Amino acid sequence: MTDQQDQPGATRSPGATIADTLRSDAVPPPQPLLEARNEYMGDSDIPFARYTDQAFFDREMNSLWPRCWQWACREEHLQDVGDTYVYDVGRYSVIVVRSSPDEIKAFLNTCTHRGTRLLGYQGGGYSGGFRCPFHGWSWQLDGCIDNIPGRWDFPHVSDETHGLQPVQCELWGGFVFINMDPEAAPLHDFLDVLPDHFQHFPLDQRRIRLHVQKTLPANWKAAQEAFIEAYHNFETHNSPNGGNAQYDIFGDFVTRFIHNLGNYSPESLVDYPGEKFREPVMTEDELLRSMTFFGHGKSEVGPGETARSVAAAGLREQLGTKFGIDLSEVSDSIMLDSIEYHLFPNMFFFPGINVPMVYRFRPNGMDVDSSLFDFVILEPLSEGATHPEPPEPHILDVEQSYTEVEELGWLGPVYDEDTGNLALQTQGFKTSRKQGLTLGNYQESRIRRVHLTLDKFMDEREQGASNE
Amino acid sequence: MSDAVLLEADLPMGGIKVVEFAGKEVLLGRISSGIYAVDNLCSHAEERLANGKLKGHRLICPLHGAAFDIRDGSALTRPATKPLSTYTVRIENGEIFLGEPGKENS
Ligand code: FES
Ligand code: FES
Ligand SMILES: [Fe+2]
Repeated sequence: MTDQQDQPGATRSPGATIADTLRSDAVPPPQPLLEARNEYMGDSDIPFARYTDQAFFDREMNSLWPRCWQWACREEHLQDVGDTYVYDVGRYSVIVVRSSPDEIKAFLNTCTHRGTRLLGYQGGGYSGGFRCPFHGWSWQLDGCIDNIPGRWDFPHVSDETHGLQPVQCELWGGFVFINMDPEAAPLHDFLDVLPDHFQHFPLDQRRIRLHVQKTLPANWKAAQEAFIEAYHNFETHNSPNGGNAQYDIFGDFVTRFIHNLGNYSPESLVDYPGEKFREPVMTEDELLRSMTFFGHGKSEVGPGETARSVAAAGLREQLGTKFGIDLSEVSDSIMLDSIEYHLFPNMFFFPGINVPMVYRFRPNGMDVDSSLFDFVILEPLSEGATHPEPPEPHILDVEQSYTEVEELGWLGPVYDEDTGNLALQTQGFKTSRKQGLTLGNYQESRIRRVHLTLDKFMDEREQGASNE
Repeated sequence: MSDAVLLEADLPMGGIKVVEFAGKEVLLGRISSGIYAVDNLCSHAEERLANGKLKGHRLICPLHGAAFDIRDGSALTRPATKPLSTYTVRIENGEIFLGEPGKENS
């Protein structure tokens, strides 16, 4: 071991790296996938109280959720003037609306008369204008007052004082982001490398194929942390390909993992229990067969080929035809791998073609111990097509299984495995004498990054408030 | 035999149409699971629901935003609390016929 490797956080799993795999792929990856950046941020435990305490939850409710950028919906949800989307997070509710053919606006979902919530649903809807069901004050789609019954009694009311309360709203990647903080810096300041990297995989050229929204029995941070590393793949999914995953810290707000499909490092599993995936090592043919359920339609790895190159080629044909796009230049890695970018505080974007997800995690109302998980499959739009009307979400309760959503196919059992640990983890948080969770220096570095940024973000905003 | 209220071909997927039936305005909507018929007047304050939109199985009132399940007329969100009346839908030779539930189709 070199000095370099003796530095905490500098050690990596034995055996081949993700970069090794990517460099030997038949169709090489775009530049962003060849970047690797990580930093050591300490190894202290993360207190369980951050997941279970009402006080910490309340702090997030005051200093995080009403101040940070978060996507509320896709632009494709708002095709016609009057189309609305109601996005709730904790005690807050925001209306996003297409107020004119080329403008999207957002408002707090509350009446400026006596505070009544204006729209009672969540998700997509439609309004001719907004009219409060209590005394019938009404506003146009742009938030200006339309009518106040008995206006003679309200000489002190005008658009300046009683228009709907605006929420900042910006577009990126086909998503509509909102920020309830009127003073917040522009979205771009929080996206780190995302605009640069996603030039290579534009998400606005995709459409919602499937949306599943499930209630999970854990704090929103514990829930998202079940998806932020691949270290769990062996035990939770009985899968060999998490051992050598790559973890990148691009800045305070954006991190990434890449783990390969169709290739793994037997050496990385050297001290994992049993001899599975090591004695014997899976052959290329077996690896190809292990991906049959992707529908690559190939059965053999010929001389000079790898399971990855064959599966990627098969998927280029199958999916290229299905989506009506030309995938011939798309790298093996983008075709196959699980490549996951996280954006602070609660959003995940996958640029992959076969693994094309988007996630969002948020508190479920004011319950510290439960969260809402939006799972979206974003499929490439065919060449020259416009976005179709997006499908309505499937809503799953805590007790329901992902396998109830037929369209999920092979993913259903996988997400049951991922979410199956959460109730146990929440119970364990509350039993432990040890006061916090312990993190791997590298493989779980993304978890630490989010917690550090969370503290910094809330501290800065609380200091700002106390200086005023 | 009552008269057909609409040609099936005139009701596209995701679309809504208003017809007159039994002296009332009835809203027909088509979603992936079939064609459904409910009152066109919102059970909250009688706004015409045809001015709103169908989002999946949710029919949204454009005035105060009440959502109804078009499949059974139930009120899903405030401010509506009362369900919409529903009508039975029968399709024959590409024509849509309505009936009132509980009453025999004449
Ligand atoms: S509270 Fe909304 S009009 Fe009075
Ligand atoms: S009239 Fe339909 S919600 Fe009030
Ligand atoms: Fe997983």
